[in-house]
Amino acid sequence: MENLYDVLVIGGGMVGSAVARELSRYELRVGVLEKNLDVCYETSGRNSAVVHGGFAYDTGSLKARLCVEGNRMMGELAKELDFPFLRCGKVLVGNTDEDMETLKRTLKQGEENGAVGLEIIDEERLHELVPAVVGKFAMFSSQSGILDPFQYTIALAENACQNGVDYFFGSEVTAVRRDGEGNYHLSTPRGDFASRWVVNAAGLGCKTISDMLGIEGYKVIGSKGDYIILDKRTGPLLPMPVYPVPSNTYMGIHVTNTIDGNVTIGPNADMVSDFSYYGVPQENMDYLAESASRLWPHIHKADYIRNYSGILPKWVDSQGVIQDFKIEIRDDLAPRAVNLVGIESPGLTAAVPIARYAVGLMKEREELRENPGFNPCRKGIVRFEGLSSKEQAELIAKNPDYGEVVCRCEKVTRAELLQAIHNPLGVSTLVGIKYRTRSMMGRCQGGYCQMRLEQMIEEELGKKETEVLYAREGSQVLFGKVREEA
Amino acid sequence: MIREFTCIICPNGCEIQAEIVDGALTSVTGHTCPKGEAYVKQELADPRRNIATSVLVQGGELPLASVRLTNPIPKDRIFDAMAEIRKVSLQAPVVAGTVVVAGILGYDSDVIVTKAVAAKG
Amino acid sequence: MEKRDVVIIGGGPAGLAAAVQLHKKGVENILILEREHHLGGILRQCIHDGFGLSRFQTTLSGPEYAARFIEEAERCRIPYQTDTTVLEVSPDKVVTAVSRAGLVQYQAKAVILAMGCRERTRGALGIPGERPAGVFTAGVAQAYMNLYNRMPAKEVVILGSGDIGMIMARRLTLEGAHVQAVFELQPIPSGLPRNIEQCLNDYGIPLYLSHTVTQIHGDARLSGVTVSQVDGNLRPIPGTEKEYPCDTLILSVGLIPENELSIDAGVKLDGRTRGAIVDEHYQTSIKGVFAAGNVLHVHDLVDFVSMEAERLADSAARYVAGEALLDCPVEIGTDGNISHTIPQRVSGKKDFQLSLRVRRMIKDCRIVVRQAGQEIAVKKMKKALPAEMIQFVVRADKLVSGEKLEVSVE
Repeated sequence: MENLYDVLVIGGGMVGSAVARELSRYELRVGVLEKNLDVCYETSGRNSAVVHGGFAYDTGSLKARLCVEGNRMMGELAKELDFPFLRCGKVLVGNTDEDMETLKRTLKQGEENGAVGLEIIDEERLHELVPAVVGKFAMFSSQSGILDPFQYTIALAENACQNGVDYFFGSEVTAVRRDGEGNYHLSTPRGDFASRWVVNAAGLGCKTISDMLGIEGYKVIGSKGDYIILDKRTGPLLPMPVYPVPSNTYMGIHVTNTIDGNVTIGPNADMVSDFSYYGVPQENMDYLAESASRLWPHIHKADYIRNYSGILPKWVDSQGVIQDFKIEIRDDLAPRAVNLVGIESPGLTAAVPIARYAVGLMKEREELRENPGFNPCRKGIVRFEGLSSKEQAELIAKNPDYGEVVCRCEKVTRAELLQAIHNPLGVSTLVGIKYRTRSMMGRCQGGYCQMRLEQMIEEELGKKETEVLYAREGSQVLFGKVREEA
Repeated sequence: MIREFTCIICPNGCEIQAEIVDGALTSVTGHTCPKGEAYVKQELADPRRNIATSVLVQGGELPLASVRLTNPIPKDRIFDAMAEIRKVSLQAPVVAGTVVVAGILGYDSDVIVTKAVAAKG
Repeated sequence: MEKRDVVIIGGGPAGLAAAVQLHKKGVENILILEREHHLGGILRQCIHDGFGLSRFQTTLSGPEYAARFIEEAERCRIPYQTDTTVLEVSPDKVVTAVSRAGLVQYQAKAVILAMGCRERTRGALGIPGERPAGVFTAGVAQAYMNLYNRMPAKEVVILGSGDIGMIMARRLTLEGAHVQAVFELQPIPSGLPRNIEQCLNDYGIPLYLSHTVTQIHGDARLSGVTVSQVDGNLRPIPGTEKEYPCDTLILSVGLIPENELSIDAGVKLDGRTRGAIVDEHYQTSIKGVFAAGNVLHVHDLVDFVSMEAERLADSAARYVAGEALLDCPVEIGTDGNISHTIPQRVSGKKDFQLSLRVRRMIKDCRIVVRQAGQEIAVKKMKKALPAEMIQFVVRADKLVSGEKLEVSVE
C-alpha cells in the first residue's frame, strides 16, 4: 500500500506531539491526525500551565512516576526545544492543624514518589517567598515551575515535524477499521489514512477512539475548570503559584503566575459530559475571584483581561473514583494500537515521559531502528520584548522587521509575526498566530493589532479575507469587502 | 400637538419641543441657539441628513478614501445615495476635497473626498 | 543621544495640537513620535462628520479635522517620525523608540504624553460564555470597515451605547448589515443624545436601557447572544433572558486611557480617570512630563482634546524656556455626584479651565466650586449628563486662600 504510515498518532496535543517526536527518533513514517486547526486548542492549551513536582499523586502510580520524571527533565527539554520555562517553585498554603496534617502527608507522599525540594515553611518564610499571600504556613516545592503551554506544545509538534512527521489538521478520526493484514484504516473528513500502528492520544476523545479500536468500556468524565486572566501589572505580586491545601482529588482554586507575567485565577472543577463547550459562566467567575482572594487578596475587576476554560479527561471506575493514567497495548483486542486513556493533569509535566512509556510498549513488540538524522533541537521565534535595548538594536540592524511593532501591548514585531505566519506546521488561524507570538494576548486583546494581523495573513498566505479563520473550522472573521472592484 | 426633537446640529443635543396646531408650527421651545429652531422647521418640512462613507481607490496606499456630502439630502434618499456612491472607483493619488459625484441624485450636494490617498509607493 | 526640547508621544489630535501650539510659542526643537504610518491617530478611521464645531466653527469629518492640524504641522516644518513605537520613557525623560531604522534614544527637556486611549474589551467586562469569532470592539469594527475595506458583520447586536458604538450602528446599516438593537447596562445612554437621534432613531435601531449581554454563544463564529434586563444594582434579573441570534457582537463599553508608558515612567495616576494626576499646567507628578487628551481623561469631543493640548503647550513652552511653573499645592476635591476633575491640583494664583464629568444625569443643577465654604465659580446646567465633559473657567481672583477647592453639584 502506497500511503501506508508506520504510525498514525490520533491527536496532536502535547501528548500526541510528544509521542510523534519520540517516534521521529526512529526510522518510521509517522503522521499525526488532529481534529482542530492547531495543536493546542483543547486541554493542552487550556490549563494552569504549571509544571508539577509530583507529590500530589498516589505512590506507585504512573501519574506520580511520570510526573516526577517529567519535572526533572523539563529544564533540559526547554533548552532543546526553546520554549519558555521557569522553575519558580510553588507553595501550598495552609492555616489549620488539619491543613498541616494534610501538607505533612503530601510531603511524605512526595518524597516517596521521588520528588525533591519539598519542605514545610512557616509564615515568615512564606512571606519572604510570596509577600502578598495570606496564610500561616505552607509546603514549598522548589522544583515546581511554570511554562508557556502553547509554545511547549508547538515546540514538540514543530520538532516532530522537522524530523519528518506529517501533521494533518481538521482531521478528526470518525471511524477505525482493521484489515486482514492487521493494518489500520482511519477515516477523516480530509480523507482516509492507513497505518501499521496507531496511537490514541485523543485527549478528550480518548474514550471514543478507544471504543473505535475495540477496547471498550472505559468511563471518562470531563472536569471543566474556568480561569480568569489578570493584567501583567499584577505579575510582580506573585513570584510563584499559590495553591490551597489539596484534597484527594482536586488541587483547589489557585493563583498562578504565567511565564509572561500575567496572573491566572482558577480552576473550579465542574463535572461535564459535553467536552466541546468552553463557555465560562458568570457565577464561576465570581466564585473564582472570591475564593482566590482568600489566598491572594489582589484580585480587582479592573485587571481582568480575559477568561477561559479547559476540560480534563478523567478516567473513572464504576464508582466514579478517578483512576491513574492508562497507557496500554491490548494485543488481544487491538494489536499494534497504543491506547492512552485519562491523560489529564499532570499530563503537561509528564508528556514526554508518557510518550517514552508509550513508545517503550511498542519497542517491546517491534524492533525500532534509530533515525540517524534525528535532531532533538528546535529553535523558537526570537522575541523582541524582554531583550535589552542593545539586543533589540542589534536585532533590528539584522532584520528591520524587528523595528516594526505591530502588537503594542506585548511588543510583538512584524518579524515575529512573519515567522509565525510561515510556521512549519502550516497553521494559519488568528489564534494560531496569537499562540505563537502573544499578539492579541495583551490587555487590549487585539484592539490595536488584530486588523494588521489579519491583513498579514491575507498577504503572506495569499488568502481572501473570507478565508481567514479565527480559531476553528467555520470561525470566519470577515464577510467580504466594503467596496469591491467592479 | 407637541412634538419632541433632539437637535443634531451640535453636540449639545438640545431637546426641543415644537407645538403644532392644525399642521402649522406655532411655537418652538428648548433650543439654546437659532440653529435649533431652524433644525426643527427643516425636520417638519423635509428632514435631511448628511452621510459619510467610503469609495474604492485603486493603486493607492490605502484601499478606500472616505467621503461625505457637502450638503444634507432628504433622509429617505440616503440609501439611494449610498447606491450611487458605491459605484465610484478612483485612481490614486486622491486629493481631499475632490468632488467624486456632483449634485448627487440631482440635489445641491456633492460627494467629496475627505481623506487624501497617496499612490502606492 | 539626540537632544530635543520636547518629545511628543503620539501624533493624534492631542499630540498634533500640542506640537503646533508649541511651535507658535517659539519651541522648534520638537519631535512627534507616531507608531502608525500616518499622523492623525484615531481620527483617521472616524470618517463621520460632526468634528470641529468648537475648534473651527464648522463641521468636519475626522480625517478632515486631523488634516487641518497635520497641514499646519507640515507648514511649520515640525519634525515627526511615523512608524515609530516608543518603548520606554524614563523618569529623567529619556525616550526610547524603535522603527525599521533602529532603536533611538532621545533626551528630552519635556515629554508630552499624548497616547490616547484603548477600548474596554469583552475580557475586561468578563462577559460570560464562549469565545467565538465575531465579537469586536466598536473601534476594531470601525478600523476594519473604514481603513481596511473589510466587512466584519452581517447580523449585529451592539452592547453599550457609547458614541462609537452608535456611530458604528449607522455605519454598518449603511453598508448593508442589519443592526438588531443596542443594549445599555446603565439606565441612561452613555453616548451623546444627537447620536441616539441620527445614528439609531433615523435607522429604526432600538436602544434598550438597563439591559446587558449575559451569554455569548458559538464555538466557531458567533451564533447569538443572551440578553437580560438588569436591576438597580446592574445585576441581571433572572427570567428576563432573551436570545438574539446574530453573527456579530459589537462592544462600545468604555475607553481606558493608554498609560502603560506613563506608569513605567513613574507617573502617578488617578484611579478615577486612569490617567495622570495633573496640575493646571497639565504637568504630571514628574516635572517636565505633561499629559493631555484621551491619555489624561476620556473626552467626549475631539475639539476639547485639541484645546486641552493647546493649553498644555502653553505651559510646556514656558517650562522649556526655563520659566519656573507655579507650584500647585491647592487640591481639588469632588462630591459624590462628580466622577473626577482635571486638573486635580492648581496654584490658586492663575485662572484655570476646570473639566469634569458627573456620575449620573442631573437636571436643573448648579456645578459649584467652593473654597472654605465660599462660592468661587458656578456653572448652571439644564441637564448634566455623564456622556458630556463639562468645562468652565475658574478665576483666580475669586480664590480666598490656599485651601482645598471643593466641587459639588447642587
